[in-house]
Amino acid sequence: MHSSVRARWKAALLSVVLIVSLAGCGGGGGGRGASTRAQLPLPADPMTIPMKEPGRYGGRFVLGQTSSAKTFNPHLGSGSATTDVLNRMYSSLVDIDYNTLEDIPQIAKSWDVSTDQTTYTFHLRHGLAFSDGHPITSDDVKFSFDVVLDDSAGVPLRSLFLVNGKPWEVSAPDSYTVVIRVPEPFATVLPNAGAVRILPRHRLEAAWKAGQFASAYGTNTPPESLVVSGPFKLQEFVPDQKTVLVPNPHWFGVDAKGQRLPYLDELVFLIVKDQDAAALRFHAGELDALDNVKPEDYPAFEKQQKAEKYTLYDIGPSLNTNFFWFNLNRVREAKPGRRVGDPEVEAYKYAWFADPVFRRAVSHAIDRDAIARGPLYGFGVKNFAVYTVANKLWHPDTVPTWDFDRAEARRLLVSRGFRDVNGDSILEDAKGHRVSFTLQYNSDNNVRKAMAELIQSDLRQVGIEVIPQGIEFKALTTHLDADYQYEACLLGQQTSVPPDPGIGGSFWLSSGRMHYWWTKQAQPVLPVDQRLDALFTEANRPAPHEVRKRASDEMQRVLNEECLLIWLPTQINRLPVRDRFGNIDPNSMPHRILWNADRIFDRGGEGGR
Amino acid sequence: MRTFVLRRLLQIVPLLLGLSALTFLLLQLAPGDFLAEMAQNPSISTEAIESMRRNFGLDRPWWVQYFAYLRNVFLHLDFGESFSRHQPVFQVLREAVGNTLLLATGGMIVTWALAIPLGVIAAVRQHGAWDRGLQLVAFVGLSVPELLSGLLLLYFAAATGWFPTGGMRSLDWDQLGPLARVLDVLRHLALPALVVGLVPLASRMRQMRASLLDVLHMDYVTTARAKGLGEAAVIGRHALRNALNPMITLFGFTLGSLLSGSLVAETIFSWPGLGSLTLEAIQAQDQYLVLGAVMMAATVLVVGNLVADLLLAVADPRIRHE
Repeated sequence: MHSSVRARWKAALLSVVLIVSLAGCGGGGGGRGASTRAQLPLPADPMTIPMKEPGRYGGRFVLGQTSSAKTFNPHLGSGSATTDVLNRMYSSLVDIDYNTLEDIPQIAKSWDVSTDQTTYTFHLRHGLAFSDGHPITSDDVKFSFDVVLDDSAGVPLRSLFLVNGKPWEVSAPDSYTVVIRVPEPFATVLPNAGAVRILPRHRLEAAWKAGQFASAYGTNTPPESLVVSGPFKLQEFVPDQKTVLVPNPHWFGVDAKGQRLPYLDELVFLIVKDQDAAALRFHAGELDALDNVKPEDYPAFEKQQKAEKYTLYDIGPSLNTNFFWFNLNRVREAKPGRRVGDPEVEAYKYAWFADPVFRRAVSHAIDRDAIARGPLYGFGVKNFAVYTVANKLWHPDTVPTWDFDRAEARRLLVSRGFRDVNGDSILEDAKGHRVSFTLQYNSDNNVRKAMAELIQSDLRQVGIEVIPQGIEFKALTTHLDADYQYEACLLGQQTSVPPDPGIGGSFWLSSGRMHYWWTKQAQPVLPVDQRLDALFTEANRPAPHEVRKRASDEMQRVLNEECLLIWLPTQINRLPVRDRFGNIDPNSMPHRILWNADRIFDRGGEGGR
Repeated sequence: MRTFVLRRLLQIVPLLLGLSALTFLLLQLAPGDFLAEMAQNPSISTEAIESMRRNFGLDRPWWVQYFAYLRNVFLHLDFGESFSRHQPVFQVLREAVGNTLLLATGGMIVTWALAIPLGVIAAVRQHGAWDRGLQLVAFVGLSVPELLSGLLLLYFAAATGWFPTGGMRSLDWDQLGPLARVLDVLRHLALPALVVGLVPLASRMRQMRASLLDVLHMDYVTTARAKGLGEAAVIGRHALRNALNPMITLFGFTLGSLLSGSLVAETIFSWPGLGSLTLEAIQAQDQYLVLGAVMMAATVLVVGNLVADLLLAVADPRIRHE
C-alpha cells in the first residue's frame, strides 16, 4: 500500500519539477556530456581493461559515505573518506590487480628492471591526456615524484621513497620514458611507485614552487580547475552532503570493444553519518550500495534481496585482524621510581607478561567460537595470522596456534607456579601477587567492547582477573606509542594496499611505531625481535615470490611461537549492491566495491527503485 | 540606547579572549594531537609524522602556538587553517553555520507556533480536559529523548516514503527550478526541524500557560471583564500582551543557542550542520577549526542575548536600556 502512496507523491513532485523547469530554467544538466568520452579520439596506446561483460554507457551509482573527502590533492589525502574518492580520480604509473595482487601497467605500458634491481625504466603509453586535454608525459610523472620527495610539501607517503634515509632518483630522459633508481634493491618498488598518483605539472607546478602545494587542489577548488589523470573527474562537491564524479572524457581505459571507459555517467558519494540511517536509505532505494554493514544486520539484508532487487555479496573473511597483547615496553627516559630499561608496567606483572608460557596460557583460555558467535553474530572466523585467509598471496598455510583449551591453560599456569592461595578463585603468582591486569580498547568500537567482556569472563574461568577499560581512541594511541601507560591492549589492524609484508615495516620491525608490544626500539633487545628484524629484511629483498613467502611465513611462525599477539576471530564481510549494475565484483581490499568503478555499468530498466 | 548596544558588543572581546584561551588549553590537555590517528596507518612513517607535526607547528609549546594564533587574528583577521581540510577555518564553517541556522530556525518555528496557542488553550481551559490532555502530551514530550523521536521519525519517513530519509537536498537539486529548490529543502527540513522543535515544546507550553494564568488573576483583567468585554477581547487584547513578556525573554535566550543543540538531529538526518562538524573537529583535534566553531557559537550567544534585551524594550515600555 505504501508504494502507491510513494508513487503518488513522486508523481506530484515530478509535476512540480516539470512545471518549474518548463517555466523557464530550461537547461539544467541533462546528459552532462554523457557522450563526449565516446566522441573524443582514443589515445595511441589505450589500456584495455578485462571484465566479465562489456557494458553500456549511462546511469548513476550512489554510494553512502560517513564523511566527506577532506582534500582533492591525492598526495595529501589520507583516511578512507578521502582516498575512496581520490583513487577514482587519479591514475598511477602502475596498478595492482585486485584478484591476483600482481603489479599491472597503468600509465606505464611496460617496464624493464636492471639486473642489479636498482634501476626501473618505465615506458609510458603514447597519446594520454589529463581531463583538460593536456598531454600526460614523463614531465608530469617526474613532477609528481619530485613533490612527494620534497620535505616541505608535507606528503605523508614520503617515507615510502626513502631507503635508509636516501631518496629515490627519478629522471625523465625523454617524453615517454621515466627512470627510477633506488639506493638499494627491495621487493616493493613497483607498488610503492604505484602509490604516487600522477598530477598535472602545468596546473600545480606554480603552487608547489610558491610553497602553496598543501592548499592547492583543496575542497574549495572549483571543480573545473581540478585537472585529473584518472577515470573520473569532479563535477560537484558539497561539504558533508555529496561528491559527484563524472567521466574524464580523456581517460585512456577502454573495454574489449574499444569503448572508452568509464561507463557510468555519474558516481555519487552521498554523506550519511549514521550507519543505521544508511541502511534505511539503502532500503528506501536512495543508495545503490553500502560499503559497511554490521554483521548483526546481515540476516535482515538477506531477506530483502529479492523484493528490493539487490544482492548481499559475501566477500569472505576480512583482511583486517583483531588481537590483544601485553605491554613489554621498557622505560626510555628516567622518571620518578623508574630507571631507564625498567619495564613500563609493574615489575611483577612484567615477569608474567614477558613469559611466553603465560601468554600461551592466556591464549588457550580464550573461547574464540564464542567470540565469533557473540560480538560477530556468527559471522567470524578464527584467525591466527597477520595475513588472514583473505590474503591469497601471503596467508601462511600452517602456523603454531594456541587455541581454546581451558585444561591446558590451567596446566600451563600451574606449571609456572600460579596457585590460588587465598581461595578467592583468583590465582596468585609464586610471590603472592594477585594475577590481574587491565585491558584497554577504544571505547567507540562496540565489537571490541563485547570482545573485551568475553575475554574477561573466559580468563576468569582460569583464575585470571581482567579489567576491561574502554578509552577514547586518541588517548589510547598516546598510551601505545608515547607514554606506554597500559598493561594489555585490544586492537585491530587495517590492511595496507597491497597487503604485502614489505609494506608492513612499521609492524614487523623493532624500530616500528606499530611493533605494538615494544615500539620504536633503537636496537632490538629480545631475541624474537632480533629474529623478526632479520627475517623482515630477508622477506623484503627482491626475489621470486616463493623465496619471499618462505621468509614471511617464518616471521609469522616466530611471532606465533612466542605468542606475542593473542589472536581473536576476524569478521566475515558482506555488502549489498543493487542488481541493476553489471561488473560488480566486491573485493576484500579497499575500496571493496568501487575498486573497479571504471567498468561498473547500469543495465537500465527496473532495478529496485 | 546606542551606548548600551555598543557596551554589550564590546564585552564580546574579553569573552572571546578568555574562551579561546580556555578552549586552546583544553585541547592541549587532551591526549594526542591531530596526527595521532595517522600514527595508526602502517604506510606513514614516524619521520613523516614528525615532519608534519613541525609543519603544523604542533611541536611548539601551547602558549607559543596560542600567541601566534592571537597575533594572526588581531593583525590579519586570519583565524587559521583546518589541518584536515587544508582550508581557512571560516571557509569551512560558513556553509555549516548557514545549514544549522536553517535547522534551528525551523525548529524554533515548530516550537513557538505550537507552544503559544496550546499554552493559551491550556490556561483558558484550566483543569479542563484540554488542559489535562496537553499536560500529558507535555510530559511525554519532555521524557522522550531526541534520539528516539529522531529515529522514530526516520522510520516513519522510510515506511511511508512521504519524506526523504535524511540529507538536505535531493541529488537532482541543481537541476530543479528556483521554487522546486525551496520546496525540496523544506521537505528535507520538515522532520529534523520537528525533532529539534519538539524538545523545548513542552516546557514552553507550560511556561505560556503559567504566565497567562498569572495575568488572568490580575485586577485589570477583572476590570475588563466587568466592563462587559467579550472573553476573546479580554484574553487577546489585555491578558495575552502582558503574559507574553516573559516569553519574549525566553525567546531571546533561545536566539543565543541557535548554533548549539541540534547535534543529535543533525547526525540522524545527515544534516550537514555545525554540530556534527564541530564534533568531528574535536575528535580529530583539528584545533583551529574547533576554536573557530566555539568562538562563532559564543558570538551568536552574546548577540542573541542582546537581541533578547532589545526585544523586551520594544515589547514593554517600562523597560529602558540606558
